[in-house]
Amino acid sequence: MFEQAIGAMASVVVDPYLLGLIFVTTVLGVIIGVLPGLGATTGAALLLPFTLTMDPVHAIAVLATIYVSATFAGSITAILINAPGTSAAAATTFDGYPLAQKGEAGRALGIAVISSTVGGIFSVLILCFAAPLLARVAYEFRSPEYFALTVFGLSMLASISAGGAVKNLIGGIFGVWLSTIGAERVTGIERFMFGNYELYEGLHFVPIFIGLFAISELLVQSKTVDKIIKTVAMKAVKLPTKEDYKKIWKTILRSCGIGTFIGVLPAEGATVASMIGYSEARRWSKNKKEFGKGSIEGIAGAEAANNAATGGAMVPTMVLGIPGSGTTAIILVGLMVHGLRPGVYLFTEQVEKVYQIFGSMFIANVMFMLMGLYAAKIFARVSLVPTAILWPIVFALSVIGAYAFQGQLLDVWLALIFGVIGFFARRFGFSVAPIAVGLILGEMVETNLQHSLKMFDGAWWMILTQPLALMFLIFAFLGLCGPMIFSWITKQKK
Amino acid sequence: MIKKNIYFVPLFLAIFSFVVIAVALQLDTSPEMIVGDSMQARSFPIFLMILNLILVAVLILQFYKNQPNPIPLEKFPTWGSMILFLVFYVLTVFTDMFIGIFVVMFLMCVLWGEKRIWVALLTASITPALIFMLFDLVLKIRFPRGILTNIYYG
Repeated sequence: MFEQAIGAMASVVVDPYLLGLIFVTTVLGVIIGVLPGLGATTGAALLLPFTLTMDPVHAIAVLATIYVSATFAGSITAILINAPGTSAAAATTFDGYPLAQKGEAGRALGIAVISSTVGGIFSVLILCFAAPLLARVAYEFRSPEYFALTVFGLSMLASISAGGAVKNLIGGIFGVWLSTIGAERVTGIERFMFGNYELYEGLHFVPIFIGLFAISELLVQSKTVDKIIKTVAMKAVKLPTKEDYKKIWKTILRSCGIGTFIGVLPAEGATVASMIGYSEARRWSKNKKEFGKGSIEGIAGAEAANNAATGGAMVPTMVLGIPGSGTTAIILVGLMVHGLRPGVYLFTEQVEKVYQIFGSMFIANVMFMLMGLYAAKIFARVSLVPTAILWPIVFALSVIGAYAFQGQLLDVWLALIFGVIGFFARRFGFSVAPIAVGLILGEMVETNLQHSLKMFDGAWWMILTQPLALMFLIFAFLGLCGPMIFSWITKQKK
Repeated sequence: MIKKNIYFVPLFLAIFSFVVIAVALQLDTSPEMIVGDSMQARSFPIFLMILNLILVAVLILQFYKNQPNPIPLEKFPTWGSMILFLVFYVLTVFTDMFIGIFVVMFLMCVLWGEKRIWVALLTASITPALIFMLFDLVLKIRFPRGILTNIYYG
């Protein structure tokens, strides 16, 4: 198994086509990451239709590369123009931009690049070891366990974004409801189709995701047409000095652990990881006063954590079919579209492909490090592309991409409709990521509930007699009610 | 003073839930021998909407306690872009998808503040042409028939 894994990962290096693809995608990912508004999720949604005709490994490698490189690249604009290219880089602005204003933009970027690379590589290594182990545990799962696991995944949606727990859960439920549109899988009864037989097999993820992530972002960005960007001058990216390394190595290691762990949790992602990585860096720092004024520990804490979350988030995605973030939801769709069924099957029947994907992620981390060190200045200029030019291009890519998925105009209309729905949802403080994750998990939760009920002759409470299922349901309950119970206990103590 | 318009969202969500429940109740029922001890097709969506209604009630409570500020109306580029989606629909259905993309891209460029008309024209013509070439020649995807694609496909 170990030799097979190493062999598969090494095969990426000797595949010039795949290497070239990773290189091009890394460049594209960095460009997507530096363009404000066009994060890893939007980028992956836009690129998904382009991967449809590719070999499965190449397709997932493209999506995974976009994920890691765009997550890193968000820090370039966060440091140079105080506008995080991705939400995961928001914590980097706290100290990155102040350090850049002091005339040390190159140093700030150097710290960000190294921390991101270490975080990314660390999480890929954890992914290589943890994913097969988790897959072995998942081998024991039957319908009740999968049902409880998906409920746990849905409960974690409460904290997937800053919209607020209740709004996130409403978004998740809306997503799950969307998954019920079409013919019901057991009885074949048509639900919410209103005579439209193109919806018989249900809503397809690709156009919905293009709408929710790309088109809705386009409408959100239309509010920023008058925004004036102030740039900070930078000569060249500087590698951290020995003193810098001495100061940040503990922070990087801590954030690697935090980021990977948070990434592994269903429905938690790089944004949460970077915020916690940053606050933990501050909590453990001897120089707390420097935070917010250009602390290199702050940059390292946030950046190592957000890139470590990328590998972590791939664990539940590939092993359990439960996405850890909006971007992994798209990667999961990529896996499904290419016939790679996430779960135990993937790790028993298609091990080689899995490790090739991991190997691609490893190489992508090295490539973005080189690009970050030697070409960050050039990439930063891309962020100055006028929105009036950029977003009409995104529109064209979105509608053609939605059409290309199945060659149906209905998908284009669905992308536009869900773009408007996503925009209004965001306008009223709802995040679109819970809708996307809910849509993916919806089928899983309903099907496994049906199977469980059949298993136990309709006695639903028997699900609670299964130890693993009970554990996941307790986790779900604690995830939902834990903060409320904790704050009540604290109030009572006071 | 209670800001009434902030309750528009929970109200909309509640109405949506009731509509879904009403539609779900109209769905066919399957014979006992097919469903067995499992659920009818209507049960799961109804269960979801009941959960939704509970969450909406919590949301109303939160709004009542915290009184969030009403959200200001969007500027013209946002509404304009949505209107352009309709223009795209009409042009695609009645002329050609690529005519729709060209017109919408050009108008969007101008709407979003691009003052150089030639830049807007170039963006609107080169981008769809390049994407079309990529999808048609490399990815082998055939686009819907229309005035322009008929000329290309023959």
